[in-house]
Amino acid sequence: MNPETISVVRVRDVLLVTMPADPDDATISALQEKTLDAMDQHTVKGLILDLSKVEIVDSYFARVVAETAQMVALMGGETIIAGMQPSVAITATELGVSLGRTRTALTVDRALDMAASTQNHSKSPHS
Amino acid sequence: MISEVKTPAQKQADGATLSAEASREMLQLLVDTIRDYAITILDPRGYVTTWSPAAERLKGYRADEIVGRHFSAFYTPEEVASGKCVRELEVATREGRFEDEGWRVRKDASCFWASVVITALRDAQGNLRGFGKVTRDLTDRKNSEDRLREQAKEILEMATVPIVQVCEGIMLVPLIGMLDSARTQQLMERLLLRLTETASPVALLDITGVPAIDTQTAQHLIETIKAVRYVGADVVLTGVRPAIAQTLVHLGIDLSNVATRSSLTAGLRVALSMLNLQIAPSNAHR
Amino acid sequence: MSVRDHGEVKIQTEPDIAVARRAVRDVATKLGFGVTETARIVTAASELSRNVHKYAGRGVMQWRALTNGQANGLELRFEDHGPGIPDVAEALREGHSTGGGLGMGLPGAKRLMDEMEIHSAVGQGTIVTVRKWRR
Repeated sequence: MNPETISVVRVRDVLLVTMPADPDDATISALQEKTLDAMDQHTVKGLILDLSKVEIVDSYFARVVAETAQMVALMGGETIIAGMQPSVAITATELGVSLGRTRTALTVDRALDMAASTQNHSKSPHS
Repeated sequence: MISEVKTPAQKQADGATLSAEASREMLQLLVDTIRDYAITILDPRGYVTTWSPAAERLKGYRADEIVGRHFSAFYTPEEVASGKCVRELEVATREGRFEDEGWRVRKDASCFWASVVITALRDAQGNLRGFGKVTRDLTDRKNSEDRLREQAKEILEMATVPIVQVCEGIMLVPLIGMLDSARTQQLMERLLLRLTETASPVALLDITGVPAIDTQTAQHLIETIKAVRYVGADVVLTGVRPAIAQTLVHLGIDLSNVATRSSLTAGLRVALSMLNLQIAPSNAHR
Repeated sequence: MSVRDHGEVKIQTEPDIAVARRAVRDVATKLGFGVTETARIVTAASELSRNVHKYAGRGVMQWRALTNGQANGLELRFEDHGPGIPDVAEALREGHSTGGGLGMGLPGAKRLMDEMEIHSAVGQGTIVTVRKWRR
């Protein structure tokens, strides 16, 4: 498998999308396409974006993530960003980007727990 | 050792006590030989009447250059203008002595840090005959003290902020001193690393030891909180004293989306409840 | 292993942005910058390379290892013959990029690096130079 591609799998009721370490712009934009395709194919209630391998998040990457989260929200789902590396968190803060309406989790494991618990609520997660 | 009681004549014969003249001779020898203290005599108005080799070494003047001149020559122009010399003699006259530490000026205009004792010299009738001035060069000691103070200050400001695991899932960060850019960057890196390594969901930032909050410190705090949230943890800010709370409001700093408490204990309670929120969902699956 | 002290990456197509990033990461790591410092430099390089691609279509990134006698550093120079920046002060003043893709992200890059210089003339092109010193 090409290490630079995005992996998309369905885990329980959520989509788990894993980003590679330093994706080029084409790969980053593929995030949106692949997410929307997958949400079309499977009935999933949300998206977990695994950024644990990612070494750089610039303004383009951040924008695509924020837009994707917005699309997922419009379809009634929630986006959880998991495993962001410390250096990425710091540069993202200093760059001043926004990752949109997303929750964050230390690990994919925790993200799955969070996604499961949100589903237990009858209200939409964005109220 | 056998102690006997001897008559004064016997003592003098022994050489154990000195005649008045020999006494004076020995005292003069003391003044001339002693290296660490510059001993001079001033007349009642403050003019130098006697000088010593140590004084010459310390202040640079030869006896023939300084005898007859006023002792304000050893002070900086600003001090002389402010009347310091007059005051010193007044105190010595009134109370018998005056003691001080300060900068003194040598003949070549260089300065040294001196410890000075001015003693009023009165005869048997109580008349003021003059002043004895004993000066000690403490420049080396002052430099060492200044250096130590600088280092202590530097250490306090640059000391690595400790990050303490208070229990599983909670990292305590007791901040001491002001948060400048460099310290914040250092802190953010270490804290985030620790949180992600241990998968700890809560960072307890205690600002009890932060003396004052300015806009810069507040911005650094807010950035740290943002970065902690990006990695998937959260922050409880504790130690927000009334004075700090007031400053934050006046500066227009918005911490409405951050859990803040005035005491560490209260903050710890909040942190623990945050952990419970994390734990419950897992339990739900078992 | 010998460390080259200068080099360049031509920015002609969009994948070149990632090529520039990798080159910068490689150099920064070899020069001894730490993980977070490297991340800052690479992110700034990404922003500035993207500017070149987005506004001028093509350009070049040149990098240079520096020393000022006391510290080592890295200099990145982005040059293009694009439309130029009409108001540099304004471009630097804009609020932090919200990732909305508006603006040039120059304030962000400036924030991440230690020094930044911009030379630009409308209709002629732009040169953005940034430097980071190892602490």
